[in-house]
Amino acid sequence: MNGQIHFTLNGEKVTSDRHANERLLDVLREDFKLTGVKCGCKEGECGACSVLLNGVLANSCMVAMGSIEGSEVVTIEGYSKTKRFQALSDAYAQTSAVQCGFCIPGMVLACEALLAKNPNPTDAEIRKGISGNLCRCTGYNAIVEAVKIAAREGKGLW
Amino acid sequence: MVTFSNGYLVDNLADALKIRSEIDVTPYAGGTDLMVDAKEDAVYLFLNKIPELRRIYSDEQYLHIGAACTYTEIFENSLSPQILKDAIDYLAAPAIRNMGTAGGNICNASPKADTALIFYVADAKLRICNTSGERILPIEDFYVGRGKTVLQKDELLVEILVPKQGLEHYYYKKVGARQALAISRVAFAGIFTTENGIITRCAMAFGSVADTVLRFRDLEALFVGKSIAEAKSIRSQFIANYEQAIVPIRGRVSAEYRKSVCMNLLEDFLTQNGI
Ligand SMILES: Cc1cc2nc3c(=O)[nH]c(=O)nc-3n(C[C@H](O)[C@H](O)[C@H](O)COP(=O)(O)OP(=O)(O)OC[C@H]3O[C@@H](n4cnc5c(N)ncnc54)[C@H](O)[C@@H]3O)c2cc1C
Ligand code: FES
Ligand code: FES
Repeated sequence: MNGQIHFTLNGEKVTSDRHANERLLDVLREDFKLTGVKCGCKEGECGACSVLLNGVLANSCMVAMGSIEGSEVVTIEGYSKTKRFQALSDAYAQTSAVQCGFCIPGMVLACEALLAKNPNPTDAEIRKGISGNLCRCTGYNAIVEAVKIAAREGKGLW
Repeated sequence: MVTFSNGYLVDNLADALKIRSEIDVTPYAGGTDLMVDAKEDAVYLFLNKIPELRRIYSDEQYLHIGAACTYTEIFENSLSPQILKDAIDYLAAPAIRNMGTAGGNICNASPKADTALIFYVADAKLRICNTSGERILPIEDFYVGRGKTVLQKDELLVEILVPKQGLEHYYYKKVGARQALAISRVAFAGIFTTENGIITRCAMAFGSVADTVLRFRDLEALFVGKSIAEAKSIRSQFIANYEQAIVPIRGRVSAEYRKSVCMNLLEDFLTQNGI
């Protein structure tokens, strides 16, 4: 008997009947309709498909379903219900850090992963933290600024 | 053990080796090489939940790094040598470092593998197991060509054994297009040790220039047992030997360019050590 894959998705226990070699990205978008998870390359290069996997940043296009049995997955849809998200979202709005928006779900999760480890990052640390998330619109400066504002105004959240 | 369609998930090494001995599976550690051109019919053996592959510990002589430890885990472990941390710091971006493993880097057998380069220059050994036992071999004996290793169908890489002593005095440079996500174009690692003014070790490894990482122990030996002054007097001969030995392959960046970067890094390494 071939087993189902069990994991926690945005706080809820779920199962999937997909093959163990399929990409988490496709399952999130197609089966769970979580379309905040974007597909930009399927090669691990762009970060648009970023999720939090057991609390760390991962490219969901690079994750085979069988490896996530028993794991916790958080997408932007789940993260957007948190206070931390609100702090980042307000900061992004202040610096006008969003243009087309395609990179933003992944970018926000990269910022979360960074702040969770390092609540007071320097400019260089921020750039490193988001180095796997490509944005073709903003030139990154507004995003770096937003992370600094979120760190300041959201003090105590991270 | 859990059996999925197209995959097996195990929580101990013995079960993993048993599956390796009975079924044709592809070991899957972090997936960051495998998933780039994922095969639709691939059957994976997931290694990410096997405790024996995820520990880092040290004995008298060696630091043992479990093959399925991620870059992030190695980077954050206080036992890891700085030379390895430097290479990880320049490797890909956070999301790749969170999933990618040292064992995957070694077994993928690319000449660009940044941590394999460090394991070469550090004289690391690989502990490889199957159901009937284990063998331990120096990393350079593991490779037989680009993408080709001596790993048998029933085996798994279990641990990387990194000598604890002698890695303090090192040199590491990666010359790539971009820092993050830059699969190295040319990377160089060197280790230089002297005792009472006599050179005891002058190890050098070159990444991304040939079919495998390059290291020439016979050429290194020329300096061993010599004083810095003596080494200096034969510097040009030493360099000429490498000039001859390094035969770069044609890649995206021209062969000549790769080679000249190699030679520049080699010369800089010698200069920095007073030679
Ligand atoms: C965007 C991006 C950037 C990258 N940048 C870099 C970089 O800068 N430098 C660099 O060196 N690499 C880079 N890589 C390549 C890759 O991340 C590394 O090679 C990584 O270490 C692979 O590890 P993994 O665990 O993900 O391997 P996997 O994809 O899981 O496996 C790779 C290979 O090794 C085999 N394997 C894995 N573990 C074992 C084991 N224990 N025993 C036997 N066989 C095993 C698998 O079967 C497979 O053939 C990059 C990749 C991407 C997608
Ligand atoms: S779609 Fe996953 S990194 Fe680009
Ligand atoms: S806002 Fe358009 S890609 Fe970043």
